[in-house]
Amino acid sequence: MITKKLYVIGAFVFLLLLLIPLFFESTFVLHMYTLIFFYTALTAAWNIPAFGGQLSLGHASFFGIGAYAGAILYVKYGVSPWIGIAAAGAFAMLGGMVLSLPLIRLKGPFFTLASIAFAEVLRMIAIDWRSLTNGSVGINIPFKPALMNLTFQSGKPFYYISLTLAVVVVYLTYRIRYSALGFHLRAAASDDEAAKALGVNTSLAHFVALMWSSAITGVLGLFYVFYIYVLEPQTIFSLDLFSLQPALNGIIGGMGTVWGPVIGAVLMTPLGEFLRFYLGTIQQGLNYVVYGLVLVATVRFIPGGIVSLLAPMMKRKSAEKAAKPAIEKEAR
Amino acid sequence: MSLLEVKQLTKRFGGLVAVNKMTFEINKGEIVGLIGPNGAGKTTVFNLISGIFPASEGNILLNGRELKRMPAHRRSLAGIGRTFQVVRPFEMTVLENVMVPALARNKSTKLARQKAEKVLEMMGLDQLSDSEPGNLTLAQRKRIEVARALATDPELLLLDEVLAGLNPTEVAENLPIIRQVRDSGVTIIFIEHLMDAMMSVSERVLVMDQGALISSGTPAEVTQDACVIKAYLGEEDPQC
Repeated sequence: MITKKLYVIGAFVFLLLLLIPLFFESTFVLHMYTLIFFYTALTAAWNIPAFGGQLSLGHASFFGIGAYAGAILYVKYGVSPWIGIAAAGAFAMLGGMVLSLPLIRLKGPFFTLASIAFAEVLRMIAIDWRSLTNGSVGINIPFKPALMNLTFQSGKPFYYISLTLAVVVVYLTYRIRYSALGFHLRAAASDDEAAKALGVNTSLAHFVALMWSSAITGVLGLFYVFYIYVLEPQTIFSLDLFSLQPALNGIIGGMGTVWGPVIGAVLMTPLGEFLRFYLGTIQQGLNYVVYGLVLVATVRFIPGGIVSLLAPMMKRKSAEKAAKPAIEKEAR
Repeated sequence: MSLLEVKQLTKRFGGLVAVNKMTFEINKGEIVGLIGPNGAGKTTVFNLISGIFPASEGNILLNGRELKRMPAHRRSLAGIGRTFQVVRPFEMTVLENVMVPALARNKSTKLARQKAEKVLEMMGLDQLSDSEPGNLTLAQRKRIEVARALATDPELLLLDEVLAGLNPTEVAENLPIIRQVRDSGVTIIFIEHLMDAMMSVSERVLVMDQGALISSGTPAEVTQDACVIKAYLGEEDPQC
């Protein structure tokens, strides 16, 4: 019953979102929504290793690799960004492999620290490898509107593209969570040793999760850079925009759940923009103070994230969900 | 050929020798009790066999195959199931808990679900499928622990104090499970402190003290063994 109701509400919200660009001409409104969708997708991708309890604070790495792969291929070699998607995903995944090599034995906080360092290293490489990346000047995407070029006159196409990305990525994470991989990750997060004793290769599960997450994040990076036209190492590999932000969204919304990232991104993106706009101008950094307070309050009072507040309802729902898709999938 | 061969198994933690040159064999279909005073190294032996940590010395062979360098999850896949003394359910429903080992062998969630349901029914837990283990009694959680290990389709099952901490009624309820598991063709080694239960279920008993195997035989034999009596009661006996 509740599941059905939620599906109806979900479909209704989705329809509304489809219609918004038809009624709002304001670029600010469209931009805000586009950002929310991007962050929803990014947070959902970030959340895949988090199913297994791995907290990454370095997703800017994959975001940046994907962005650079797409931009370099397009600007230097004239390769359409649509083809570049494959490269963005592949290179970002390669980055994920490099990061996971030392992590076969290191987990938990070590993974978190290594992920931060990894993004920093990539930022330095992007600044110094001038022949390829154009150094700290960065790369500009020339404004040649065409579908092939993933460049458009208005903000509307990107509104729909980012909405699609958000829906697809959230759906993917949903499928992953209720697959064998999802079970293995949740078991590993809960008790790594017990999971191993039951035959679960927890290291492999963490690795595969990171592969999915990095590849998806790379693709998102490509789309993002074609949305904002500018690519520079300081921004794309920045700790706060693409590493901390998805992590904060995820933690505040509910880490390791399917809907936590959605809730987190929907609430925190506008709040972040608002705070940056109003408080950032009063005193630089003041917006981060408020942000930090929100985070501390969340971790202190609702450690499971906002999703856990909806627990009685969501619990029944997730139990049904755990049961249903599997059966439906096989029935098909 | 014996199912499990343990040869000169030794585990040192720094200067402490937790397991000292243990050698024993377990035959297929046997139900063997492993007893000994607290701190004798019983659980350490289980951890070594299941690969939670590596042995310092010695060999462990399952069906003649050397396990020493095999990581824990591969040993599970090779046929060694175990439970933990302190129950360690995952934070998910009972059914999902039992689905985890099934999914380590077959990626289909549908088959895993069927398998888990079957095991839960056999263990009399089918009514609790959708509960969270955190809300259940210790006796129930111990059963889940066994159910989860059974869902690995083990050849050899290591049960670590599945009756400890239960009241007499619960012991009476959980005891038949051990026999039931054995009847399904699984070889069992179990650690237990409840002597009545131990004696009534096991065919053979291994006795450990201070990391070493001090006696083995039928329950009747070991209870007469002077070394065993000494280990438990501390009586003087020049032979031991």
